[in-house]
Amino acid sequence: MDEEQVITVRVYRYDPASDKAGRLEEHKVASAAPLSVMALLARVHELDATFCCRTATCFKGRCGSCLVRADGRDVFGCTTLVRPGETVTVEPHSRFAVIRDVVVDFERPLAAGTEAAE
Amino acid sequence: MSGAAKYEADVLVVGAGGAGLRAALAAAEAGASVILANKGPVARSGVTLTAAGGLQAVLHPDDSPELYYEDIVRCGYGLADGDLARTLAAEAADRVRETERYGARLMRDAAGGYALGQFPGMARPRNVFVKGGGIGLAAALAAACRRQGNIRVVEDFFVTGLVKGGGAVAGAAGLDLKGGAPALLAAGATVLATGGCQWLWATNDCPAGTTGDGIVYAYRAGAELVDMEMVLFYPSVIVWPPSLAGAFVHYEFLAPDVLDGNVYDRAGKPVLPKPLPRRDEAMLFLARAIREGRGGPHGGLLWYVGDSPQAAANASRLNTLQYDYIRAHGVEPATDRIEVAPGAHYLLGGVHVDADGRTSVPGLFAAPECAGNFDGANRLAGNGLTATQVFGARAGLAARRWAAGSGARPDEAAVRAEFDRLAARLGGKGGTDVAALRNRLRAAAQEGAGVGRDAAGLGRLAQVAAEVRAEAAAARVPAAGVFNQQLVDVLELESMAEAAALVAGCALARTETRGHHVREDFPARDDANWLRHTTARRTADGPAFGSKPVRP
Ligand SMILES: Cc1cc2nc3c(=O)[nH]c(=O)nc-3n(C[C@H](O)[C@H](O)[C@H](O)COP(=O)(O)OP(=O)(O)OC[C@H]3O[C@@H](n4cnc5c(N)ncnc54)[C@H](O)[C@@H]3O)c2cc1C
Ligand code: FES
Repeated sequence: MDEEQVITVRVYRYDPASDKAGRLEEHKVASAAPLSVMALLARVHELDATFCCRTATCFKGRCGSCLVRADGRDVFGCTTLVRPGETVTVEPHSRFAVIRDVVVDFERPLAAGTEAAE
Repeated sequence: MSGAAKYEADVLVVGAGGAGLRAALAAAEAGASVILANKGPVARSGVTLTAAGGLQAVLHPDDSPELYYEDIVRCGYGLADGDLARTLAAEAADRVRETERYGARLMRDAAGGYALGQFPGMARPRNVFVKGGGIGLAAALAAACRRQGNIRVVEDFFVTGLVKGGGAVAGAAGLDLKGGAPALLAAGATVLATGGCQWLWATNDCPAGTTGDGIVYAYRAGAELVDMEMVLFYPSVIVWPPSLAGAFVHYEFLAPDVLDGNVYDRAGKPVLPKPLPRRDEAMLFLARAIREGRGGPHGGLLWYVGDSPQAAANASRLNTLQYDYIRAHGVEPATDRIEVAPGAHYLLGGVHVDADGRTSVPGLFAAPECAGNFDGANRLAGNGLTATQVFGARAGLAARRWAAGSGARPDEAAVRAEFDRLAARLGGKGGTDVAALRNRLRAAAQEGAGVGRDAAGLGRLAQVAAEVRAEAAAARVPAAGVFNQQLVDVLELESMAEAAALVAGCALARTETRGHHVREDFPARDDANWLRHTTARRTADGPAFGSKPVRP
């Protein structure tokens, strides 16, 4: 694939039933145009159905369904853009307990400073 | 799947959008215990969040419920049931004002009155925006539900089907995604508030998850559906750039007194006439221009307000969350050209209800978008959210009354059958490419049941729907423990495929053109034969399609 047409996404994988700790897994998403982190995760889920992520968007950048951690920062995934040629690392948002992969439980907020993944 | 968890309440509400939240509040305030189950996180999923936040209500001194009622019926080309339209018009103002009691905030003008706007099709200024748009409304109602002691909010709970007891619906079964286990939600009455199936169309402006689950579950339980061919195509859904695809820009804002812009073809020619036509006519102007090859490089037309003095004067209209979202993607709506096309926006048809949300199955109620017969062949802007409040509240109350007298309990056998059906989907390696099947189905719906339809295309859609449904039904996914998204994907795909067959069947039955249902092979409106609802009911041999009169 032409590097200019590809976005590299390193996603956090974690299944509480089988994993002691999470790990990162790399996927390549073909795109000639920038995509949001949220759209990228949905593409990764299409490429590898076992990878879980939230897919319902509000198209407003306000509801927080898309909250994740991208390159070490907590962000709204739907308004965080990644350009072709770039690499992004996506982990669970740090303020909520992880259910699986990058999906968090919005009803279980963590105390500030706690790492969601551990 | 033995030992499944069981929750019990007087009333079960499935779906926590505007309609479900309001239904839960109404039932709970009347004294019922309520379970409110939602397949995603509450106030973080569903169509209500994406709404711009316009509500219609009779709040202007020169307006009246009669004028509002007439607008609904005219706009719907005579297919809205009269009693429902009258109820909506009469109760809109009270229910809309009441949203403030739950913590939502309606926009005011400088004098402190409601800031009322007038969109195409409205005889009087009747549109009031809620602050924060649909999220402002949903978040306030959700907080009110969580404050209510007798509402148990169960989020990330995917309902898989209804369960009956003694012929009446007595709750639902589903999958607790967080815990990973199936569970039974037993209730004396069940309100479906699961929204529409717009995700079925490749071009739409709705969140993932609008897969028609509740409508299909109601149909499987024996409920009558009406007008499933009627899907509203919004004129200006963004198709490019890809990161914004699925968001929309207001075609209403192109009106001379708002931003006075237009939608332009490749050669720079404006596509929309002024004054702006209503949605159904406007989307046809765009669809025809695209079909004539006047579209841009990505198949759309260019929404543009950048050269209008009026737009500069009214630039604040673009200072909302919705347009900030577009800016966050590097596009400036005030000056950039945005490529748009008509996309599925709202399901006009759905489960047949009376003014209390009662379906044709005892114990089963349906509220707003999944309900079918209060709009007709087109819908006024702002009617969707208002309907969630009016009919959500009515369905919640009626469900509470029914539950008080019903005592229905799920039949053991029905529950076991539903859990067995779920268990049978597990244990595979996940070899079926669900995403590919979904894309195939969505392309067929867009192609065959998009803006222009004919018998051949609808027949092809029915064929693809049957094939996809068979493949989805045969798919086995891994038993993945918590958050089994693969299982959800496959069950949603089954719902979509079943809904697609119903859309195709109803669209084939309606041999005329009316509102958003445009039959290229039957281009004329046929009031002599078709001032009627199309109907769909499940039989042992598959769906039976027919028609019935519109209630006066
Ligand atoms: C982009 C856009 C803008 C709009 N703007 C406006 C506007 O400004 N004014 C207006 O009046 N109307 C507007 N509408 C229409 C209006 O927003 C909707 O008709 C209305 O919000 C629907 O509410 P609802 O509660 O019926 O459905 P939804 O809000 O879709 O809620 C349904 C809920 O059910 C849940 N659910 C579905 N299936 C299951 C299942 N199997 N198990 C458990 N839960 C399930 C979903 O997760 C969802 O949370 C707009 C629509 C769109 C798409
Ligand atoms: S999807 Fe709603 S804020 Fe991102």
